[in-house]
Amino acid sequence: MKTFDATQVAALAPLAIIIIAGLAVLLLEAFAGSKNRRFLMGFSVVACLIAFGVQYTAFVDLPVHATSSIFSGSLSTDRFSGIFGMLFLANAALVCLLAPDFLKEHGFEFGEFYALVLFGTAGMMIMASATDFLTVFIGIETMSLAVYVLTGSWRKNAKSSEGAMKYFLVGSFATAVLLYGMALVYGATQATNLAEIARAVAHNSNSPILIIGMLLILVAIFFKIAAVPFHMWAPDAYEGAPSPVTAFMAAGVKAAGFATLLRVFGTAFNNSDLAFGASGWAQIIAIVAALTMTVGNLAALRQENIKRMLAYSSVSHAGYLLIGVVAMATPELADHARGAIVFYLVTYTFSIVGAFGVVSWISSKNDERLQLDGWAGLGSRHPAAALAMTIFMLSFAGIPPTGGFFGKFYLFRAVLEKTDLTWLVVVAVINSMVATYYYLRVVTAMYFREVGREPRPIVSAPMTAAIAIACLVTLGLGLLPGWLLTAAQNAPIGR
Amino acid sequence: MLLILTTFLPLAGALLLLMIPKEEVGLLKGTAFTISTLTFIVSLFLLGLEPTGFSHVVDVPWVEPLGMRFHLGIDGISLWLILLTTFLMPIVIASSWFSIDKKVREFVIALLVLETGMLGTFAALDLFFFYIFWEVMLIPMYLLIGIWGGERRLYASIKFVLYTMVGSLLMIVAILYLYVQNHALTQVWTFDYDTLRQVVLPHGPQLLCFLAFALAFCIKVPLFPFHTWLPDAHVEAPTAGSVILASVMLKFGGYGLLRFAFPMFPWAAGVVAPYLSILAVIGILYGSLVAFAQTDMKKLIAYSSVAHLGFVVLGISMWTQKSIDGAVYQMLAHGITTGGLFLCVGILYVRRHTRRIDEYGGLAGVMPKFLGAFLILTMASIGLPLLSGFIGEFLILLGSFGAYATWVDLPIFFPHPKLLVGMATIGVILAAVYMLFLFQKLMFGPNDNPKNKSLLDLTPREIAYLVPVILMAFWLGCYPTTFLSGIDPAVSQTMAQFKTKWGQSNEEVSTARLMASGPQDPDAADRNVKTIEIAPGVMAPAPTQAE
Repeated sequence: MKTFDATQVAALAPLAIIIIAGLAVLLLEAFAGSKNRRFLMGFSVVACLIAFGVQYTAFVDLPVHATSSIFSGSLSTDRFSGIFGMLFLANAALVCLLAPDFLKEHGFEFGEFYALVLFGTAGMMIMASATDFLTVFIGIETMSLAVYVLTGSWRKNAKSSEGAMKYFLVGSFATAVLLYGMALVYGATQATNLAEIARAVAHNSNSPILIIGMLLILVAIFFKIAAVPFHMWAPDAYEGAPSPVTAFMAAGVKAAGFATLLRVFGTAFNNSDLAFGASGWAQIIAIVAALTMTVGNLAALRQENIKRMLAYSSVSHAGYLLIGVVAMATPELADHARGAIVFYLVTYTFSIVGAFGVVSWISSKNDERLQLDGWAGLGSRHPAAALAMTIFMLSFAGIPPTGGFFGKFYLFRAVLEKTDLTWLVVVAVINSMVATYYYLRVVTAMYFREVGREPRPIVSAPMTAAIAIACLVTLGLGLLPGWLLTAAQNAPIGR
Repeated sequence: MLLILTTFLPLAGALLLLMIPKEEVGLLKGTAFTISTLTFIVSLFLLGLEPTGFSHVVDVPWVEPLGMRFHLGIDGISLWLILLTTFLMPIVIASSWFSIDKKVREFVIALLVLETGMLGTFAALDLFFFYIFWEVMLIPMYLLIGIWGGERRLYASIKFVLYTMVGSLLMIVAILYLYVQNHALTQVWTFDYDTLRQVVLPHGPQLLCFLAFALAFCIKVPLFPFHTWLPDAHVEAPTAGSVILASVMLKFGGYGLLRFAFPMFPWAAGVVAPYLSILAVIGILYGSLVAFAQTDMKKLIAYSSVAHLGFVVLGISMWTQKSIDGAVYQMLAHGITTGGLFLCVGILYVRRHTRRIDEYGGLAGVMPKFLGAFLILTMASIGLPLLSGFIGEFLILLGSFGAYATWVDLPIFFPHPKLLVGMATIGVILAAVYMLFLFQKLMFGPNDNPKNKSLLDLTPREIAYLVPVILMAFWLGCYPTTFLSGIDPAVSQTMAQFKTKWGQSNEEVSTARLMASGPQDPDAADRNVKTIEIAPGVMAPAPTQAE
């Protein structure tokens, strides 16, 4: 294990940039008057872009399977953490663009918002590169605390506080479960480092303490990605949080949860006994995946509130993604499955940020328009926004030519390479049909119904830009998915 | 190149229309009409076909790591369906010149995007592209029904989408399954139709894959009992939507069965085909009887489509040269006549804003020109000799009647194939019953509804777009050689491929394998000009168990 030196600090540069930018925002906030808050937004976006650029160069320079281990093996930068880092940074930049005019419209503008987004992003980046249980824990907590505060930041809104409270309590409970699991695994293997655990597991994989610990960790991650039956917090938290924050949560927290799931179960517990033995994680995840898709979609069918509908839909998307994690347990499928998950997460991130972007855009003061009725006739009043929302909905439903179609397609292909998981794909396909119905309800409301109350959307250049970018990426990935597929395939967990 | 131009000209036109301000209604319609006419003219140049294999082939890589290729090509079957599409599109735009007054720009854009989707689906030789185009068709049609449709448009549009999605999603699973099996055998990722056709699956998976494909196509046809979306969609769609739906989109069912489901999974097709033919005959009789009971003109014609397309499925499932020729011919003829009938209903609807049959009567006196056009199309739909409907139905019945050799080892309860054909023939008579019933109710009797006293006869614009349709109905009825000379070789080639593969997949195998005569090394195989020798003029014999 290498010790600390200068080249390793360079590997941390994107993370460092984000944390320093976050601190700088806190500092600048004290001097910025209410008029200059927009400057903080610009500052944060630029910081994200710089970090993105640095992360990109590092990603390209790094050989495919290489890894550089920092802080005595507790963090490692490899292509896997690189691609997730870029995803989180893009997500953060888009959320920063969405936020300022939404906060202003609803009268709770505050500069720390951007600092919290940046800190949350830093937490996610730590999660993606953590190779030790302690850093996993630090990453999850850094991210979660920022998101709890962001969820509750709309203080005048009772739902915001309620959502934050529920999210915080459930999240703390999940953290406790996580720590308990880590402690048990430590007891069984005398290690917190993922690579060392993997070595210990190779010698002795059927200790009950180890299995219980592993399952507790799995449960905690299920909480974070909102998999059934640990999804109860998601609709309330998603509904209560200010819409730009919901975008941040729905995309970032889920992607970070999957990054941790892939790394922990792809290295430490990547053992065929643990995966397929008695109470093996692959079987458990398979069942949870089927449940998550089905329950999420069925619940979404009946929602009239668009944020709750998107929340349940994001639950179901976690289910689709979990199919990929099941496939990852089989060594031959691992590379394709991981690539497919990363691809799916990228398309999902841009679509969900875009969708919540439109949800933020349409909400005016004292009239948030969360009920689907409020969207009636949007197609004739604001055709561009309605078109963008349609594209996001089609992407969720997996209809070409959108990125979401390729996400599903690529995932199913990876899973079908071994035929014993065909049943899961069939469940997923049936679910996609069900899901089409509620996604099209939004399209139906926008285009096929007459205008009810005249929409008075927020006029905001940054918000429009964010939605436009999300829309272009979603469409672009539907037309030319090849380059991202290649990049995602070539972003393995370093060895 | 010509094929790319034909396929994407409408899409390019749609992009062009985006630049035109939405107030310029006349300009929008004019441009759309010009583009669709241009597309038709360009598509006429597709007529020269190679004697075997696919013509006008375009094959460029698209997503390299997944082996998706932009692979288009046509043979005698798809050529005529493409020409049907491009022929009808200007007519459809002309027919909605005054009847569509809201969101005109979106309307014409949706029509042109739909055209590209339909043309691409007929031309695609890469299964993945086929699927993409198949889905691309869905959204414009959904919008056409949902935005410009009638009162129950929300219900009808969602029902249309969900029915189609059910079929197509299971189809993509089957496509993926084949794709992965092919990779396991050849180490090459490809969706190429000719390559995937070489994979012989064991009987169990083959049956499942066939059912997945066939379900998608049977919903589209629509085969009884998957037809319930059709009356709703037809009734609620605007005239343009109904015409396209009936004339072109239903043809994807028959086309898909003939191009993909049967040749790719011959053993399973042989097992399922008898059941398909029973459903087809039930559809013919049921559709005819239900059509007779309708009070809504569009619903009547919609159920008549169920019956007419039952003949198509019957012809395909009997799998003889004549019956398939007839099925393809019937698809063309149905496209022309039913499209024309929907145009006529649209003409009445514009004048009276009702589709109820009992609102009309005695129109012969006030609309003599309309009477003439409607009479010809009605007769064509019934299948009067010298008009389009006759040739197709006759060929199907003739071919099916001699199809007994195709079917052996049937379950004991199974009706004799000749009995099925006999029952289908009753459908021809029933068609005369309900169509003449409609004609009589509309045209004859006293004109006692005051609103009908002063109905305007056909305007020059309406005559201009009905005349080509009527001429085509005569052409299809009088000189079938024009069309059959292209269809017949393509059908015999499809049958020969089916037979080769059928012979090899008849034995039960435990794992998937490639066809023996197929290319072991896909790179060495020339995908596009794989020919199976058939002496000219000799019909491929029907496959039998003995072979």
